[in-house]
Amino acid sequence: MTPVIEVEQLVREFKSPSGGSMQAVAGVDLAVNEGEVYGFLGPNGAGKTTLVRMLVTLLRPSSGTARVAGFDIVNEPGSVRSAIGVTLQEAALDPLMTGFELLQLQATLHGLRKGAASAKADELLERVDLVRAKDARLGTYSGGMTRRLDLAMSLIHEPKVLFLDEPTTGLDPISRKVLWDEVRALNHEGTTVFLTTQYLEEADALADRVGIIADGKLVAEDTPENLKADIGAARLEVTINDPASHAKAREILGGHGRLLKPRSGVSFFLQLPPGDTQLAPYVIELDQAGVTVDRVDLVEPSLDDVFLLKTGHHLDADAADAAPTPVP
Amino acid sequence: MIAKPSFIENLQLVWALVRRGLNEILRVPGASLPGVIAPTIFMLGTYSIFGKLALLPGFDTSDYLDWILPVGFVQAAAFTGAATGVNLARDIESGWFDRMLLAPAPRWVVLAGLVCSAGIRVLMPSSLLIVIGMSVGLRWPGATGLIISFVTAALLAAVMAFWSCGLAMKFRSQDAAPLMQSSGFMLMQLTAVYAPIALLAPWLQTIARVNPFTYVLDAVRQSYISTISWQDTWPGIVAMVGMLVASAWFAVWRIRKMNTA
Repeated sequence: MTPVIEVEQLVREFKSPSGGSMQAVAGVDLAVNEGEVYGFLGPNGAGKTTLVRMLVTLLRPSSGTARVAGFDIVNEPGSVRSAIGVTLQEAALDPLMTGFELLQLQATLHGLRKGAASAKADELLERVDLVRAKDARLGTYSGGMTRRLDLAMSLIHEPKVLFLDEPTTGLDPISRKVLWDEVRALNHEGTTVFLTTQYLEEADALADRVGIIADGKLVAEDTPENLKADIGAARLEVTINDPASHAKAREILGGHGRLLKPRSGVSFFLQLPPGDTQLAPYVIELDQAGVTVDRVDLVEPSLDDVFLLKTGHHLDADAADAAPTPVP
Repeated sequence: MIAKPSFIENLQLVWALVRRGLNEILRVPGASLPGVIAPTIFMLGTYSIFGKLALLPGFDTSDYLDWILPVGFVQAAAFTGAATGVNLARDIESGWFDRMLLAPAPRWVVLAGLVCSAGIRVLMPSSLLIVIGMSVGLRWPGATGLIISFVTAALLAAVMAFWSCGLAMKFRSQDAAPLMQSSGFMLMQLTAVYAPIALLAPWLQTIARVNPFTYVLDAVRQSYISTISWQDTWPGIVAMVGMLVASAWFAVWRIRKMNTA
């Protein structure tokens, strides 16, 4: 595989409010292969956007090197910009312009002549299903439509590498799925995708490999399956509505492994031994001890578990609610 | 290395950016109205209040309208240039400007689009100024005088747009708008706006003599109060070229610094 993004010891420092300096990106190494969807996962403030802004030449690194599509981001920024498409975190589009005009302008920005620009604009409007809204001003577009147009704009020059910085943040589930399908289609056509996200399911659904960033450092990198396999065993989620039975249940379940802090609405969360995927023995043992089990689930490891293991905290509040933390 | 855009392609891009800059006037005319009518209001108000000033010795004209109307061109340029900077600050805040910077086009092309847009926009308040001025008795300045007036307004708007865009890129916030607006206003006030230099307070005379706006204003004013002469024109050209070079350098420096902050 040929890497189209190669990052070596990339550092970006900013002045801190106290007068010193702080590293938003603290020595990241990574390589993204041609044709890959690379998911870059991390919470707000982890350094995802700073890294992307460096890779797309909007921000100069403090130290380290990076090449995108074979071009050095510091010494050949124009060539990098010709080879990449970018949708940044906020779909910043001029509300006074129509979708068609914006695509035409974007095409001109990338050196297409007027006729070719118009043809390409029409083609992309059809691709992202905005033909009917082509002559409407952006001010009338919904969030999902704006995001789709933003994506279309980043494709106007048929880039080799597509950077998507949190492309579905704030979108409703349907719009999110539409965008996911489009990312999959683009990748299928050969476009390499560098996707930053704070949504675990997004990285899980789209990425061939996932890099996890925390405090400016890459703390894990592999396929989602391998990362989750590192966590090992599944977990047992047990709900017991009768509080009087909790002490007994704690004693029984605690005898089988480590109890983790459960999410709300669940009574117990048990880390199962590796290879153990059987629910029945636990339910039978509880039942024989006179404990009524109202609900029991087997939970497979998630990327949030990986994130928790590598960083010591959950990715976000929603994830925290959905996954366990170790009980001290 | 990917081929760089040709000069023609760059010019096409400048024009595309100019058209985008003109959208606000064409699609939200109400938003640009204050900037369009302000110089004319200033001209009418000042003429109505201080019209008899021209009777003082030292004025080269007996009609104060001939004296004060050229100030409107300078004022229109200052307003339009500052508005360009404020609009850029808004685009930086919203993230739109990142899209410009992500284009493979050279940075000067992006700046040229902004500045040329200001140079064209200033023609609206300038035209209104002339039309209203003529309707209240302005002496016809001649075709050459009119061309000098409009070209000066366009170039001065470019100067102020370079300067304001540089400030916008430095501060990256519309909070810098007062600085953009006040710099042109101050330069204008610290020159022979209302009366000839000889009638100004000594401290103001000193400032006015080193203020490049003085020479630009004199170059425009000559066709309204007397006749066009090379002696009154060349200092204005030197001042304008100097301001263009300095303000363009500042803007180019700031756009190159955009990715290092």
